[in-house]
Order: sequence, then structure tokens, then C-alpha cells
Amino acid sequence: MDAFEQHVRAGLELAGMTVDDTDLAVMRAADAVYGPGFQALAEADLRDVALEPDLDPSRAPRPA
Amino acid sequence: MSHPQDLSLRDQAALVASGELDARELLQATLDRIEERNGPLNAVVATFADDSERMLASAPPGPLHGVPIAVKDMFQLPWRGPRDGAPREALPPGESGVYRLLRDAGAVVVGVTQMHFWGGGSTGHVSAYGPVGNAWSAEHCGGGSSGGSGAAVGARLVAGAVGTDGGGSIRLPAAYNGITGLKGTYGSTPRDGYTHANSTMGEAGPMCRDAADARLLGSVLFGRELSAGASGRASGLRVGLVRSPFWDDNDAEVDQACRAALDATGWQTSEPVLAGAEHAKVVTVLRLTLEGLPNLTEEDLADADPLTRALVKYEMLLPAHWLVRADRVRSLLRRAVAEAYESCDLLAWPTVSAPAPRIDDPHVVVPSGPTSPDSVNVRQAGIGNLTGQPGINVPVGVHSSGLPIGLQLLGPWGSEELLLDAAEHVEQATGRQWVDAEPPTAEREAAA
Repeated sequence: MDAFEQHVRAGLELAGMTVDDTDLAVMRAADAVYGPGFQALAEADLRDVALEPDLDPSRAPRPA
Repeated sequence: MSHPQDLSLRDQAALVASGELDARELLQATLDRIEERNGPLNAVVATFADDSERMLASAPPGPLHGVPIAVKDMFQLPWRGPRDGAPREALPPGESGVYRLLRDAGAVVVGVTQMHFWGGGSTGHVSAYGPVGNAWSAEHCGGGSSGGSGAAVGARLVAGAVGTDGGGSIRLPAAYNGITGLKGTYGSTPRDGYTHANSTMGEAGPMCRDAADARLLGSVLFGRELSAGASGRASGLRVGLVRSPFWDDNDAEVDQACRAALDATGWQTSEPVLAGAEHAKVVTVLRLTLEGLPNLTEEDLADADPLTRALVKYEMLLPAHWLVRADRVRSLLRRAVAEAYESCDLLAWPTVSAPAPRIDDPHVVVPSGPTSPDSVNVRQAGIGNLTGQPGINVPVGVHSSGLPIGLQLLGPWGSEELLLDAAEHVEQATGRQWVDAEPPTAEREAAA
């Protein structure tokens, strides 16, 4: 059992859910597609990026 | 007269208003057309002739008086609760805001259109009601999540349909089916009676054959007149082509068709850089999927197909700090896009990186290799949902595979009129060749 499978089984067990082979195969495929992008996001230096305080997608951001 | 569903939405409305087309005959012809053509497409999940007839009988005068419209399976109707592509009702029957707008405009809801299970994909091949076929080839995906609306309009079952777009779900199936689809600015349509009302990403909009029809249906849905030519500058626009990541990894024919259409417009182009754009794909995935999780019950999960259920389990394990990071990137992107509009009127890139995949092999091939269509589709479309800005798909070609190609235009918040003017300019610049193109399936039936 590799680290991915351990993570999946343990995480979902904690949530009271089971994992079957189909789940695992689909999750591996999804992680192959999106995992590198998630990793890049996790490693991006966002310390200086300020959250928009009153984000409203219906209008442009207010000038800082 | 040709079949009334071969007429544009605006011609149907005008002919009904002038008395040259009987609205009851139009409704019956539309139901017949759906019966004839829906089988291999599976675009329409339900019709309800008696309810439609009752709606017609009490239809007030209005811009869509007596005109049949199909609605994605995400909105409450008085006689039917929406299912969201799943087996059970997500909401009970009722009057959604979108239904009220259509009713008050005199429209007749003629059917409910198919969608990807819970709106969670851009192919439409996963649904409790079976896969949605493409208007140009029923063996190919009709797209998602508003694939039923896209295929129904593309195959001329109806001239106008309502879609919703939380991660490209109007623009992507519009591109796959060779039609015009407009996602409004976030908050343009009422949220009540909409299954994804809590989403900060989703917005409804018109899906029609061309921009003029989208203008008519969009005016009803957005509750304001979207006048033609109001922007007064469609021929002299400054358009930003954001090279990375939106022009970097597309099928060569898709790239070529989009560039040719832009060249034909005579627009001035530049290549702005959007800070954070490289993360837009996964940030969209995080926001879109995690916003949906609180709505799900154990019963819902038990009902889900194995693919959807496994993806939900995957989403449940995504670290929470990634969502915090995603929201910082969302803020970054909104500022970057607003800054780009200081020197550009619109942004443009291919709506989809490759034409619709086969239903039995839902993969696409782009220069970086074979991949999941969702991955490249969300990359191309998600920024419009993260920022909230409106966006439109304009048909600009047909691929050698026989499937349509679409160009995406994005504009500043509230710029729907400008987008429609720009889309009409593209149509004119390309001789209306692509918006007037008839899918071969429809041509074959017409010949028979």
C-alpha cells in the first residue's frame, strides 16, 4: 500500500466512509490530472497577496 | 414555411406576435421535433405537453410570447422539481426566479434539458439519465454541465434554452455544439429555485444559435434590455489575448480557427499577462467542488454513480489550507483582470482546447498530450467564474473531425451588451458561416 492509498483509506475511515477499488482508481486518476496543479498552488508564495476584504463576484474589485 | 424550429428565436417571436405563426402549432411542432430528434442525443430529459399548453394558454404579451424555451434541470418549475442530473429531486416543484422571468415574458417552457451529474463535469457523459450526445455527432459528448441545452439548440430541437455556468458550463457545451452561449455577470439572474443558489461561481444565461437570439433571451433572463449596438464600438475593440495558459496548449486547428476569426474582426490585439492565471484551473476546481459538498447528504452519495461518488471522496480529502490559498489567488485574479481592462475592452482565447471527445472514450488530445477534457476545459473557462465577469462562446469553425470550434470572449463586469455586440461582429466578420452552419444530423433528417 503506497502513501496515496494509506492517506485515502485512513482519511475516509476517519470520516466514516469506505473505499473500494473503483474509488481508489478514480481518485488516483483525478490526482494524476490535478495533483501537480494543487502542488504548485501549495508551493506558491502567496504571503503578499491580500484577500479582497469584501469580495463580490458581481462587480469589479474596489480599488485598494 | 420550413419547420418552425429551423427559424431563429427572434423570428419565432416576431411571427407569433404578428399572427403569421400560431403559437399552439409552434408548440406542437416543437414537441414533435423533440420526439423525432431527441433519441440519440438524449438532450431533453422531460417534456410535459399539458403543462406547456397551460402555460401557453395564460401567457401574457411579452418579448417571448408563445415561444418555446427549454430549461436546464436546475430550476424549479411549478409542476416539476429539478434533479440536477441525479435520480431524485434536488428541490420540490415550485416557481424559480428563472421560471417567473420566462413566464412573465410570455415564454412557454417546453422541456427540461439534461446535464452532467450534479453539474460536476464538462462532458455530459455522466448523468442519471444517460450520456448527452453532441448535436453534430451523437457518438460524441454534448458537453457539460449544460450539455442538454447545448445539444438541444445545436440540433434545432429548440431555438433557445437556459443554461447555467459555474465552471464554464454554458460556454463549454456551447462550443462543443456550435452555438452561442452567454454566461452573465455573477448575480445577473435570480437565485431562488436554483439548485446551486449558494454557489459563488454559478450564473445562468441564454444558449441560442447566434448573438441576436442570445440578446433576446438574455434580456428576459437578466431583466434588462440588452440593446444591439449599445456599445457603439464593436468594430474597433482592443482585445487581450492572454497567451499563458489560455493559448499555450490547444489543438492546432482550434488555435488556427480562433486566430482566423480574430484576424477577420480587424480588432487591435495585445498580449496582457494575468498574475495568478497559471493557478486558475485548480483554484476553480477547489472552489467549485468544495462549495458543493455541504449540500450533499449520505443519501445523495449513495445515489451517485461510482465515478461521481469516488470524485466526491477525493474532494473530501483536499487540505483546507488549499482553499485559503485558492481564495488568495481568486483575489489576485480579480485584480489582474480589472487591471487588464484598463487597456483592453475584452479578453479572448479558445473556449475549448479541443473538440468534443467521444462518449465511449472521453479523452482529448492537446499538444501536452492526451488528457481529461475537464482539466483543459476548466483551465479555459474557470477564470470567468472566479472573477464573476461575463463571457460568451462564439462559433468560429468546424474541426476536421466534423465537430465545432468556439472562441471565448470575456468582458468587464456588466458588459453583456458589449459581448453580444462583439459576438455579432465576429459573426459578420466570418460571413455568419459558423452560426448558420447546420449540423449534419439535422441536414440528413431534412433531406429525408
